Amino acid sequence: MDNLIEQLKNQIIEVLNLEDMTAADIDSEAPLFGEGLGLDSIDALELIVLLEREYGIKLTNPAEGKAIFTSITSIADYVSRNRKK
Amino acid sequence: MTEVKTVMLSPCFIKVDGMKIFNGSINDAYRTLINDYPKFFKMDGLCKIGFLGAELLLRCIASEDKENAAIILFGRAGSLSTDRNYQKTISNLNNYFPSPALFVYTLANIVTGEIAIRHKIYGETSFYITEENDPQMMETVIKSVFETSNPSLILAGWVDYETENNYLAELKIVRNQKQS
Amino acid sequence: MIRKIADNIISPLGLTSEKNYQAVVSHNSALSFYEDAFGLPEPCFVSLLDRQVVSTAFNGLGGTSSYSFFEKLCILSISRALINAAIDSQRTDVVFVLSTTKGNVDSLAINLESEAGYIGVSAEKIAGFFGNPNKPIVTSNACISGVCAQIAAIRLLLAGEYKYAVVVGADVLSRFIISGFQSFKALSYENCKPYDKDRIGLNLGEAAGTMILERVDKVDSDDWIYVGSSIHNDANHISGPSRTGEGSFRVLVDILKSIRKEEIAFINAHGTATVYNDEMESIAIHRAELEEIPVNGLKGFYGHTLGAAGVIETILSMQAIDNKVILPTRGYETSGTTYHLNLSNSVRKTEKQGFIKILSGFGGSNAGIAYKKGGYND
Repeated sequence: MDNLIEQLKNQIIEVLNLEDMTAADIDSEAPLFGEGLGLDSIDALELIVLLEREYGIKLTNPAEGKAIFTSITSIADYVSRNRKK
Repeated sequence: MTEVKTVMLSPCFIKVDGMKIFNGSINDAYRTLINDYPKFFKMDGLCKIGFLGAELLLRCIASEDKENAAIILFGRAGSLSTDRNYQKTISNLNNYFPSPALFVYTLANIVTGEIAIRHKIYGETSFYITEENDPQMMETVIKSVFETSNPSLILAGWVDYETENNYLAELKIVRNQKQS
Repeated sequence: MIRKIADNIISPLGLTSEKNYQAVVSHNSALSFYEDAFGLPEPCFVSLLDRQVVSTAFNGLGGTSSYSFFEKLCILSISRALINAAIDSQRTDVVFVLSTTKGNVDSLAINLESEAGYIGVSAEKIAGFFGNPNKPIVTSNACISGVCAQIAAIRLLLAGEYKYAVVVGADVLSRFIISGFQSFKALSYENCKPYDKDRIGLNLGEAAGTMILERVDKVDSDDWIYVGSSIHNDANHISGPSRTGEGSFRVLVDILKSIRKEEIAFINAHGTATVYNDEMESIAIHRAELEEIPVNGLKGFYGHTLGAAGVIETILSMQAIDNKVILPTRGYETSGTTYHLNLSNSVRKTEKQGFIKILSGFGGSNAGIAYKKGGYND
């Protein structure tokens, strides 16, 4: 699980262009949207693409993303249960 | 119309009112001159140079002066650099992952929106595509904006981004003489 | 003063403005389901032009094959409007203004470095076909481009730079455009439902529209006259509509300085049928205290035609008033916005002579324009 969390942090930094940030700067439990990392609706859509490309998970309804993208831990949890690759 | 302040960005230098103030990459210019807006790194090249140029021109201007400002930009390539990058995400159906974060930047006017968001500008924002960097044509358009919609000031000029080694932003703040 | 002297609409519903108007009052639409349009891995629900029909009509103009489909479409629409306007496009006092969001972007699929990808190159080819000596201008403001092109043209005419403006708005669909909207999860896979409680997204469509405008000193009672316009940014988000409708509200406030409420037959709104756009417009119209005025949206007939939308929806609004009607909002059944708008899915009657056209789009941009028939009363 720790490996997956680390991997997700690095992938998110890359796809969301969180330049000048490292995995260590991201709190696994902190909210990703609003406060915390301050991600927005386009970032959420890009995370949907990330899940599909890297883990073979297809989210068709963006509303599903809301609960999944609460924090890094919640994404890791969802990925570990649903990943196809 | 009077030009209050000008800025020029190219891969070789950044000049404000004709004075060279920085040498280096766009990202380094951001880190050295601004560095308080992490969303900058999400922007495409066109937005980055437009945003940087606008920042250098607008940051000394009072917010009440900016609310009704207009942003009127011109360029040749528009969003073409990002269009090419987005196209690469959809060309191969075996590796087909259209990127929303790229797609949103496949519109030339997003640069005007990024500047408006940063500076809380609620006035007109427009992007025109023309084949040539033609100061006379730009002046005609800028003048017609002053005459028909009376903005407090106009952030105007040429913004063109092909690659990180080939770009040019020549921006200025223009005020209507009649007002001052 | 500026008046409209001719127009044309090319869409899957017909190759003239009249045919398009007849199709809309008859409730027709060309929107339909495609399993794999443009080789897309996902299906889509779009309104597509018949390439053969457009090319055949274009060939009738004596054109050569060195034009892209997008350019042929623009040229065909302009040439049909020019015939009605009876003006010589080679005159130095005629300017061409093009509205498009993506021009020839489909050419990148074949060659990423394609010269055709430069919209200005395409605009020069189009104006060049008609022998126009002036440099064309392209408005590239996402979904509001069609109204921005009219405003840009009107400003150049009012400034005395030109006497006539040829305003053309067009976009053709491609894997590029459809996949992008799919990645935004913005599309509906059935007929879109503007302002409806069950709306889930937009449909995309293809069209071209042309308006020819003239600066004049005197107008006739049946002339369509420009009365006011405005463009404002939300300063909120690059893709999401403002939650307060700020930019669109400011546009409406500006326009109400040039037209009286009681003169407005209807507001032809953007009505893309996405959850957020339609909600935003309802807030802006409410804030501008225009809720009692009839509103309509035409995306249920055409889909969102991007750079063409502002032009063709303006032309259709003029034709509606010429025929003393308010066009229906196809796909609308039950109000689904916080503030209820005065909408209907059937044709309504009106005696009023003016209308407001509004649009909003990516980049936080909002635009509006108002026209009135018969010029100024006072």
